[in-house]
Amino acid sequence: MIELLNIRKTYQMGETEVHALDGVTATIGDGEFVAVIGPSGSGKSTLMNIIGCLDLADEGEYRLNGRLIDDYTERQLSEIRNREIGFIFQQFNLLPRLTAYQNVELPLIYQGLPMAERKKRVMESLEKVGLANRMHHRPNELSGGQQQRVAIARALSTHPTLILADEPTGNLDSHSGREIMNILKELHKEGRSIVLITHDHDIASMASRQLTIRDGRIEHDSAAGGAS
Amino acid sequence: MKFSQAVKMALFALQGNKLRSFLTMLGIIIGVVAVTLLISVVQGATGKITGEIESLGSNLLQVSFSGTKATHLTLDDLEILEQEDSIYGAAGVMTRTAKIRAGSIEDSYKVEGVTRKYQDITGQAIKQGRFICDIDVEAHTYNAVVGIDVATDLFGTENCIGNTLDIGGFDFTVVGLLEKSDTMLANKDSTVLIPLTTAQRLFKNTEFDAIYISATAPDTVDAAEEATDDFLIRELGDDDSYFIINQSAIIDVTNEVMSVMTILLSGIAAISLVVGGIGIMNIMLVSVTERTREIGIRKAVGAQRSDILIQFLIEAVVLSVAGGVIGLGISYIGLQVLSTAMDIPMSLSLGTVALALGFSAFVGVVFGIYPANKAASLKPIDALRYE
Repeated sequence: MIELLNIRKTYQMGETEVHALDGVTATIGDGEFVAVIGPSGSGKSTLMNIIGCLDLADEGEYRLNGRLIDDYTERQLSEIRNREIGFIFQQFNLLPRLTAYQNVELPLIYQGLPMAERKKRVMESLEKVGLANRMHHRPNELSGGQQQRVAIARALSTHPTLILADEPTGNLDSHSGREIMNILKELHKEGRSIVLITHDHDIASMASRQLTIRDGRIEHDSAAGGAS
Repeated sequence: MKFSQAVKMALFALQGNKLRSFLTMLGIIIGVVAVTLLISVVQGATGKITGEIESLGSNLLQVSFSGTKATHLTLDDLEILEQEDSIYGAAGVMTRTAKIRAGSIEDSYKVEGVTRKYQDITGQAIKQGRFICDIDVEAHTYNAVVGIDVATDLFGTENCIGNTLDIGGFDFTVVGLLEKSDTMLANKDSTVLIPLTTAQRLFKNTEFDAIYISATAPDTVDAAEEATDDFLIRELGDDDSYFIINQSAIIDVTNEVMSVMTILLSGIAAISLVVGGIGIMNIMLVSVTERTREIGIRKAVGAQRSDILIQFLIEAVVLSVAGGVIGLGISYIGLQVLSTAMDIPMSLSLGTVALALGFSAFVGVVFGIYPANKAASLKPIDALRYE
């Protein structure tokens, strides 16, 4: 359960202040598939970073699973990122020198899991995205779509309850994009919450709920049927 | 995260940039080579010098005279000195340089007038024949014991017993050949030993140039020195005219001088280790900047601050310790070569190895902690956005 109340985030760009988020209030329930739509610069990535505990809001309250995010220690936030949340980025963000297998294994290493358990989970995740046969390839030996599937496998390997995808199809051709979306839909069916950030309405329409964001504010929530 | 995984990650990162890793290590390598070589060479030299002194006999006292006050000391006087409990024996020696001729060959050699006790006290070994004995001294015989170089120079052979040589116009019969000396300090290879009384007659002088005194045991040396001192003051009435050299005191002083030198030299060499450490810090800082995005990704998938800190710290320590190990290897080879070349046994002592490894690990931690902490403190979002 994600509860956002009047979240504000301001960046200092030289002389001018940019209000990336200007009072966002929203609630995303467990198991929801929500698309956050907005043009570039609307603040949607900032929103994802805050939801994903990569960044902290300047003002407002963010409750994750009922607990105020400010109450978590840095160590606990790392653990939440590690266990509760799976990230999928537009630029894939794989470590270039590691093989697909090693990239997927990384969050499990930080969990301190024994090797046999890691191997089981990595193979399970890679099979889910259909890349078990490519596990010893490095990112530069894989296509964009394959790289993104490795990134999804990495996000899945820890069995997170929430998947955060920031323009996951942004760097991909439409065919690979569709593949990725199909995987996300499947993950939703399995009962995970998914927050998808995109500027593409076709992609967004595949989610069950759309939040439209503009100039740092939620302009439209399809669940509420109007501006919030 | 498990520690073994952190080590694996660090090694993997270092492997990825082999040349850079090696160049970074080079500072530590040079530092460790400098420190360990210097320490080992000084230790080797100390061992050699104290070994030389000890080979003279660690029970040994040597009295040398500066004035002519020793003139009236006689062999009988020395027998009084030998009554002392702490003293095993005392041998007066007269030393001169003289022209010695055998057949048509003539050269200058050291001639020492000695008694039988000289052999007991200094432990001088005989290769052939016999040493000067009591009868030689009592009867002022013209018998001589020669060093090995004297024999080969004058007679062309070591088998020279029974040959005759001429010292100052007197014919001496060679009755013994000294064993080849393996020390530099008490080398008798170019010396001819004759009975003390004969020497006194030959050089028209009765004074001793030196007295060799041996204590009954190593731990009575100091008592023997005291007794000798009392005896000489009593006999000579003046403590400026003689000088007692205590071998064990010399060894102590030598060791002290050498240990000061060791500290001084290794201190200077340690500066290069510090410079090497700064090199590691420099490269680690560059590496942290280059790998900002990697750090961001690791943090996004759940790396703790401590995970990142440990990973980078291990990288720094591995660099410095590996540098230390390579440096020790180079030192080891260098010492083998030097030992052979200089004929002084030199090797890495366990203490030196521990010091070098300990210090390089210390340098790695000290200079690695700042970059590692910098990496660990990066905010995940800033690190992820870094291009």
